[in-house]
Amino acid sequence: MDISPVFFYLFAGLALGCSLLVVLKKNPVASAFNLVMVFFAFAGIYAMLDAHLIAALQVLVYAGAIMVLFLFVIMLLNADVPSFDLQRSHPGARVVAGLLCAVLLLAFVWAFKNSPSPVEPGQFSASRIEAAGGNTRVVSELLFSEYILPFELTSVLLLGAIVGAVAIAKRKQKVGAGGGVK
Amino acid sequence: MEALTTIRPELLTLTDGQLQALMPYFLVFGGISLAIIASVLRSLKPKWPVFILGMLTTIAGICSASGLLGSQAGSELIFNGMMVSDAYSNFFNIVFLASAAFTLLSSFRYLDHEQLQHPEYYVLVLFSALGMMLMASALDLIVLFIALELMSLSVYVLVGFRRADRRCNEAAMKYFILGSAASAILLYGSALLYGMTGSTNIRDILAFVQAHPQGLPVVYVLGAWLVLVGFLFKVATVPFHMWMPDVYEGAPTPVTGFMTTGLKAAAFAAFVRVLISAGYGKGLVTAVQSHFHDILWVSAVLTMLVGNIVALTQVNLKRMLAYSSIAHSGYILVGMIAGPGSEQGYAPVVMYLVAYAVMNLGAFVVLTILAGRDDSGLNLQDLAGLSRRHPWLSFAMGVFMFSMAGIPPTAGFAAKYLLFYSAVQANEIPLVIIAVLCSAISVYYYLRVLVYIYMRDPAGSPAASRVSVWSLVAVSAMVVLTLQIGILPAKMVSAAKKAVTSL
Repeated sequence: MDISPVFFYLFAGLALGCSLLVVLKKNPVASAFNLVMVFFAFAGIYAMLDAHLIAALQVLVYAGAIMVLFLFVIMLLNADVPSFDLQRSHPGARVVAGLLCAVLLLAFVWAFKNSPSPVEPGQFSASRIEAAGGNTRVVSELLFSEYILPFELTSVLLLGAIVGAVAIAKRKQKVGAGGGVK
Repeated sequence: MEALTTIRPELLTLTDGQLQALMPYFLVFGGISLAIIASVLRSLKPKWPVFILGMLTTIAGICSASGLLGSQAGSELIFNGMMVSDAYSNFFNIVFLASAAFTLLSSFRYLDHEQLQHPEYYVLVLFSALGMMLMASALDLIVLFIALELMSLSVYVLVGFRRADRRCNEAAMKYFILGSAASAILLYGSALLYGMTGSTNIRDILAFVQAHPQGLPVVYVLGAWLVLVGFLFKVATVPFHMWMPDVYEGAPTPVTGFMTTGLKAAAFAAFVRVLISAGYGKGLVTAVQSHFHDILWVSAVLTMLVGNIVALTQVNLKRMLAYSSIAHSGYILVGMIAGPGSEQGYAPVVMYLVAYAVMNLGAFVVLTILAGRDDSGLNLQDLAGLSRRHPWLSFAMGVFMFSMAGIPPTAGFAAKYLLFYSAVQANEIPLVIIAVLCSAISVYYYLRVLVYIYMRDPAGSPAASRVSVWSLVAVSAMVVLTLQIGILPAKMVSAAKKAVTSL
């Protein structure tokens, strides 16, 4: 499997840059749009890894459905009004945080440079997946056989999250606006 | 090139043994589903049915788990080795469900009093308990992560359950953001481990470690290191403890009690399992072993010192118990450091977790009873003269405080003795000396509570709190358990030993 380095660095750079913007932008709507770009860049990387199904799902589900919900919530909550002072952090703290991040980054670079390339490629190589009937088939079959437990547990997790969301949202009229919705 | 086999028939069916082993999880999830349905029925007031369903669920779960603990020989791998049902997981299932049950008991009146009586509360406690149970039995990093999120997500909401209160919202937000960051670190570490070993299953990861006795790739160590940080955050050891006092103080009191016991036990239960599989043990890779050992050693010493010393200056009881909880995490880390080197292995850790859960839950049930509106009235001065208003509660608080300080004949003493003894066996003498000294410091702030309760006169004449039958049952059970484990520890020790042999 060959990955064109040009496209890899393009997509990876795009993902990194946009992720930074998600954090740094003060306007939540701008952050959300940058997040869409991150998702598209990821989809590009997935497609280069021959995971076409995941790439398509990434665009459809994340960049499409989930981000629309995100934007709805942000706009409904009127969250572009800053509710706290962003300038509160001490400039010294920023310098220290930046230095620590740089150290961590260097540690990661060093570790990856000094490690042998990962163990032999796993059983799911592109040609074998092709022979077994393609991405969609293999993913769906694995999801309902080998990975059935995590798959079902995710549904339980979502159910729990729904109950939690109800618990947070239900009493809103009584206590008036306050706090954010997670 | 052999063809991919994606559907293996043996994975699609469950044997009788596996079905039985899954019983506690099915019961709890069934109870959750019924409770959700009961909480949306308009025809009846949901408070009683959901509370009773919650209690029945936890009791059924405890019965089924203890039945398995008695009857099961060896361990049962379920779902292609994604989770395991063994003595260790069933032992912890009982701890989590009992902690959930006592939390429900003590919450019932409290929620009425605070006008927070919403059926979702009980459902979320059960969800969180289910997450804990899955955490202790997960053998796969993916399952572990989902279980962790299930547990944490429910608790994030429970922490912010008092929506109208600013402190409560702040605590929930803080916990949510920092907790998510820690989860992300854990997930990144898991991804690196997967990248190096080619598997997310922790038994396969252990096999990879054993196959490389001469040394492991740097990226593997980096991944293990990130997983370690994620766990250290969840159990709130220094320097990852900053979130804890604020969250403990802001959360509703019964939720705080649940967090200190269930959440902490679950995080440690999974921590021990993963750490062993990541190469922490005698006879595996020496370099990795000593690397982990040093990280844990530094963290344990810092945790004990910071937790105990900062606790000295606290006047709010919830904050004091939060720092004490940090300190106890430090003691448990001592047990984890000693684990590979002593003959009891990790049994003292398990024993300590149980003893800590019992005494701390007891203390928080007492605080829940005493709490005024919006959790006011939990400062030291408010306890002055409590012995005249509530002689029985004062006695119970005394037992719990003695136990936390590690004074015989209480559970805290038995657990601490076992823990420090195993550390001596593992030749960790400096660590034991520091731990014992810290323990001596802690006597001051635990006994100060008793001084206020028994020897100070109250300012004015505060009214006695109303004590519900449910809370009284919970407190009495905790007092009995604390004394019973303290006087006759042998049974609990052998149960803990049996649990860790299946690791």
